[in-house]
Amino acid sequence: MEYKVEAHRIMSISLGKIYNSRVQRGGIKLHKNLLVSLVLRSARQVYLSDYYSGACLNAQSEREGNEWDITDSEREKFPPSATECDRVESTEEPQPNEQPEKEREYRENDDEVKSDQVDCTSTLQEQNQNSSLDSVAKVSSETPPESITEPKESPSDSAVAERDSTPEANGESHQPPKPYVCSNRKRSAEESESGDSPQKRTKVASSNAKEDEEAEEMDTSNVSNLITIFGSSFSGLLSKESAKPEAEAEDSGQICCDQMLKNLNPWSTAIVAF
Amino acid sequence: MGEDSESPKINHSFLRDYVTEADVISTVEFNQTGDLLATGDKGGRVVIFQRETESKDESEELGESGEYNVYSTFQSHEPDFDYLKSLEIEEKINKIRWLPQQNAAHFLLSTNDKTIKLWKVSERDKRPEGYNLKDEEGRIKDISTVTSLRVPVLKPTDLMVEVRPRRIFANGHTYHVNSISVNSDGETYLSADDLRINMWHLDITDRSFNIVDIKPANMEDLTEVITAAEFHPQHCHLFVYSSSKGTLRLCDMRESALCDKHSKIFEEPEDPGNRSFFSEIISSVSDVKFSHSGRYLLTRDYLTVKVWDLNMEKGPVETYQVHEYLRSKLCSLYENDCIFDKFECVWNSTDSVIMTGAYNSFFRMFDRETGRGVTLESWRESSKPRAVLRTRRIYTGGRRRRGDVGVDSLDFTKKILHMAWHPAENIIAIAATNNLYIFQDRVNAENLKT
Repeated sequence: MEYKVEAHRIMSISLGKIYNSRVQRGGIKLHKNLLVSLVLRSARQVYLSDYYSGACLNAQSEREGNEWDITDSEREKFPPSATECDRVESTEEPQPNEQPEKEREYRENDDEVKSDQVDCTSTLQEQNQNSSLDSVAKVSSETPPESITEPKESPSDSAVAERDSTPEANGESHQPPKPYVCSNRKRSAEESESGDSPQKRTKVASSNAKEDEEAEEMDTSNVSNLITIFGSSFSGLLSKESAKPEAEAEDSGQICCDQMLKNLNPWSTAIVAF
Repeated sequence: MGEDSESPKINHSFLRDYVTEADVISTVEFNQTGDLLATGDKGGRVVIFQRETESKDESEELGESGEYNVYSTFQSHEPDFDYLKSLEIEEKINKIRWLPQQNAAHFLLSTNDKTIKLWKVSERDKRPEGYNLKDEEGRIKDISTVTSLRVPVLKPTDLMVEVRPRRIFANGHTYHVNSISVNSDGETYLSADDLRINMWHLDITDRSFNIVDIKPANMEDLTEVITAAEFHPQHCHLFVYSSSKGTLRLCDMRESALCDKHSKIFEEPEDPGNRSFFSEIISSVSDVKFSHSGRYLLTRDYLTVKVWDLNMEKGPVETYQVHEYLRSKLCSLYENDCIFDKFECVWNSTDSVIMTGAYNSFFRMFDRETGRGVTLESWRESSKPRAVLRTRRIYTGGRRRRGDVGVDSLDFTKKILHMAWHPAENIIAIAATNNLYIFQDRVNAENLKT
């Protein structure tokens, strides 16, 4: 259990750092916040992996099939990416070191927590970024209706939540192509644009700044939303709103509620949106 | 601050320990000849030191024990404010780079988070005297008092060093600028922020070319940022940039206008046995430097320095452990933010020795030929002028010798992040918080404080 306590402690520290970065002189430092969000995600995975210590099967080497053994509503979102995963995998050279790497992520203080969190995302390589990004865009455009109706988390869905979080988290921490599942829920409008390759060209300095400022404004609005969440410390994360980062912070609430932790999916990507 | 006299009645030590945040040195750089050394600090100031070339002692052989003395000080950047985003822009100087000298004046580029400035440093030791219409103080003379005309003459005067801003390259970056690098063509330079790299012409300030853009269409997909970038020392079309994921990308500007697609990517597969919560943080490359030969790359991540051969992409050719004993302490280093420290690394003039900083005022040097490393200390109390640097050891187990420092007694507030090596001789400049130490490879070492 020590790893769970450790993971929780690291999560609290990470959140504190993100919150403090707002008030630092010089503006938000993108690099540091990105690293902190990666640590936060790793810690969360370890924390939540507790649910799987019993449920983990012999699935260490299995990467398809049982992982996607989830409720129908979730399946609507996942199968397209699962098939894409399979397709990518078949073209991919085997990367044995990636798989055990994912497993070891859950090892803390020599406690070996076997989990079946290894999935095909861990084998994705940068070369496939473009192709998978395009297919993701198609996925995104198909699934906005489902995104709104994402079921409220409940204890019985604990198994579901972990599966839900993992591929998205794995994707974010490893390669770009796989964070969409979660981002679907928030930015269905913007997802449709993500399929377009950004038009890149040499820019005059002034127009460069202007265009970036528009993107930056979107980012800073995420920040302010995030702040309202963090403003009420950990309890702010209790917000059960289905994944909008504009979740209202609740005044009361238990800290460290297991159920609440499942809702960490949406805002974890919001952190990345710094 | 000069040396305080030892007074038995009054203890001045607290004054010595007090460090103004603005005095913390944030960058150190020699110019191409090594005669000038520039330092930038958090307060936006640049201090230039010049090496004294006259040897006063006739018995000195060729090569002077030239001391570096303050040549010029100026305020490069001021605190700024971005009104649109309501963000303060720090005046801290992130990097200084000298331009190759072309005439009597010296030029350097200095940058803070957003703006790059080109400064001209010139000397004036003559001034014109004998104007017809102005008197000695510069006041306009009454015409009626002018009875004859004369030609003004130049008279020698005290040496004055003038520093003037010649170009201001503003509004090129949305994110924080972390690197600048002057191209070997002498006309262009690059500036890199977290997500983009721009190429500028030294004479054109209202326009820059974007040559690398890794900003994803959706910021939520962001997984890595650019941490450092540098032009190749000889090939004006090649540059390298490092990322927070520990990869290096070599780009060739001849391939396309936008170099998002790299020519070569250098990355080392992660060792799965060392995986932890903080693996991503410690694999982030904090500095990348080309060797003088242009054949090798030197990178620094949190625990190691690595030498890469440009011809081999699959991994570094040499890896040196800087402070492996910190690997078990990553969690506490994360808590006190030390894990985010960005150490620099440097080559010596012949590319045979590499150097980087560590904690507790220690810095490490590695001899590439033997593979051995030494730990040296730059700390006022133990370094007197002309004292010999002695090597230090961290006690990590086994036989403990006198003078060994235990890992738990390391002072993590005394970190050596910035340093520079003279381009031709074995002279190094080490920045330790607000102090600058200059060491020479001679029997007599020097100690210089700012």
